[in-house]
Amino acid sequence: MTELPFEEIEHTADWAIRVRGRDLPELFARAAHGMFSLLADLSEVTTTRELDLDLRALDYETLLVDWLNELLYQSEEKHVLFTSFEIHEITHQDAARLHATVTGGAVAELKKTIKAATFSSLAIEQGPDGHSVEIVFDV
Amino acid sequence: MPIQKQDLRRIDDCVWEIPREHRSDMTVPVRVYADDRLLEDALGDRSFEQAVNVAALPGLVGQVVVMPDVHQGYGMPIGGVMASSVPDGIISPGAVGYDINCGVRLLAAHMPYRAIQDRIGELAAALYRNCPSGVGSEGRLRLSHDDFEALLKKGSRWALERGYAQRADLPHTEENGTIAGADPAHVGTRAFKRGRRQVGTLGAGNHFIEVDEVDAVYDEEAADVLGLFAGQVVVQIHCGSRGFGHQVCTDYVSYFQSVVRRYAIRLADRELVCAPLDSPEGRDYLAAMACAANYAFVNRQVLAHFVRQTFTKVLGKSVPDTELHQIYDIAHNMAKLEEHDIGGERRRVCVHRKGATRAFGPGAAGLADDLKPIGQPVLIPGSMGTASWVLLGTPGSMTESFGSTCHGAGRVMSRSRAKREVRGDKLRADLKKRGISVRAGSMPGLAEEAPQAYKDVDRVIDVVAKAGIARKVARLRPVAVIKG
Repeated sequence: MTELPFEEIEHTADWAIRVRGRDLPELFARAAHGMFSLLADLSEVTTTRELDLDLRALDYETLLVDWLNELLYQSEEKHVLFTSFEIHEITHQDAARLHATVTGGAVAELKKTIKAATFSSLAIEQGPDGHSVEIVFDV
Repeated sequence: MPIQKQDLRRIDDCVWEIPREHRSDMTVPVRVYADDRLLEDALGDRSFEQAVNVAALPGLVGQVVVMPDVHQGYGMPIGGVMASSVPDGIISPGAVGYDINCGVRLLAAHMPYRAIQDRIGELAAALYRNCPSGVGSEGRLRLSHDDFEALLKKGSRWALERGYAQRADLPHTEENGTIAGADPAHVGTRAFKRGRRQVGTLGAGNHFIEVDEVDAVYDEEAADVLGLFAGQVVVQIHCGSRGFGHQVCTDYVSYFQSVVRRYAIRLADRELVCAPLDSPEGRDYLAAMACAANYAFVNRQVLAHFVRQTFTKVLGKSVPDTELHQIYDIAHNMAKLEEHDIGGERRRVCVHRKGATRAFGPGAAGLADDLKPIGQPVLIPGSMGTASWVLLGTPGSMTESFGSTCHGAGRVMSRSRAKREVRGDKLRADLKKRGISVRAGSMPGLAEEAPQAYKDVDRVIDVVAKAGIARKVARLRPVAVIKG
C-alpha cells in the first residue's frame, strides 16, 4: 500500500488531517504541506518568496502547532501560500527547536481560511515506521 | 472509549446526564439537552468525549452543560457551557476558542418585507458591495495605534463616539458592548497588526449578513416590547473578532502550554489549557480576551453602520422608513464573570460559553430597563436558507444552565462531505427558486455551509423551549444571504 504524506479525516465542523513521516523533519514538512493543500491547489503556485524560520517551544507538540500557526500568520501577512518546506533541523535539548526554510508564492484569490492549528487531541506518536500525528484546524 | 447511549442517564424528556462516575477524572457531571434524534446526532461524533474532557478540568462548579446544537469542536465541544469558581477556579483560552465573541446582531426596519420585495436583489448586491467580506478581507477604517487601543478598551462606546453607533444600540448589546478590564498591554503585536486593518469586515467561513422576514410571532407581547411584528424586514449580522481574536487565542493557547505545568494542572486535552483565574497569567488572558470581545462588538457595530447606510442609499427614495433599530447583539464564544444560584447558594463564577448564548431571564442584573420584565433577547441563526429564531432567556436558564442556551443549528456533516454532496452553484440556484437571493465569494465555501450539513434548527429550538432554558418570540425566514 502506498503511504500518503497526509490524509484528510472526518471532522464535523473543522478540518483534520493525519500525517505520517519517517522522522520529525518529514512529519513537520508534510503537516505544513497538508495544511496549505486544504487552502488551494498548490501546483498552481509559482514560487517567489523564501523565508527562514527559527522557532523554539516547550516540546515537539507545541513546536508543531507553533510552526503551523507561524506559517499561517506569515501567509496572511505576505499574501503568499507556502508550498515547499525544508526543515534543516529539529532538536530537543532544554527546549524543542526548529530551523527551516520555506518557499511559496501568491495566489490570485484565496477562497478559504484556517483560523488556527489546534492542540485538540494532539499527540505525536512514534512507531516502527516513523512518526504520525492527527491535527485539527479551526476553520 | 467512545461514549454510547447507555452511558447517559435520562433525567427528563429532553435532559440527559453523563454522571461524574463515568470517568474517574471528572470533577462534575455533564448535563445534555437533546431529544432522541439530536442525541443520536451528538453520539455520531466526539462531542460527548470532549464534554467529559471539559468536566475533568479543576475548579468547576455545578455541571458542564451541552446544548442540543452540539457538535465536535477542538478541546471543548461547540455548544458547551462550563462554569469555574471565582477566585479559585480556572480560565481557559482554548475553551473560549479562536473567534472570541463571535456573535449575532439583529436589526429591524419599521416596514414590512412586501414593501421592498421587488428591490431585494438590488439590496443584496449593494450589501455585498458595501460590507467587506471574504478571506483576509480588509476594512475601510484607517486607525492610528492610539485610536485602535481606544477601540479595544471601549468597545461599542468607541463606535458611538466615532459615529458608527446610535445611542440606543448600546443598551441592546450584551454588556452594553464593552467588556470591562480590557488592557491592550496584554495583547501581542501580531494581533494588533492583523486586527487594525480588519475592523468592519465580515470575513469568511460560516459568517454572514442575512435579510429576513419575520415569519411567525409566538409571543405578541414580548415581540411588541422588542419592536418586532409579523412580516417585518430584519437583518442579521453574524461574525466575530477576525484575525485579532484568532491571534489572541493562538498566542495564549501556546503560552499556556507551559503555564499548566507551572500550576501542575492535568488536562485530558491540551487544547483545554488554562490558568488559575487568580494568577497573573489568568488575569492577563482575561484582559486580552476583553480586548478581542470589544473588537468583535465594534466589528458588528461598524458592519451595522454599513448595512444602515446601504438601506438608506438603496431604498431611501422609494420607501418612507428605512431606519434600522437594534433588537439585540449577543456573543456565543466568551468567558464572563457572572453571579449565579448554584446549589441554593449565590456564587461568582467564570462562565465559559463555546457555541452557546447568554440567555439571562427576566429581572437579571445588567439588562436594559425595557428588557428587564421580559428577559434578554437571544438570537439563533439557522443554517443558510433555513429559519432563524428570536428567543428570550427564562428563569429556567438562570437556574439550570448558568443563564445560557443554544447558539444555532449545529453541524452534523463534515465540510468535505458537504462539498462532495453539494455543488455551490446548484445550491444557490435552488435557494433562488425558494425566493432566497445569495451573494457569495466562494462556491465551494457555499457548499460547505449547505443546509443539509446542519441539524434542523426548529428541532433544536423545540428542545430548549421544552426544557425551559429559553422561550420562543419569533421565527425569521431568510430572503437574502451575503457570505464571504
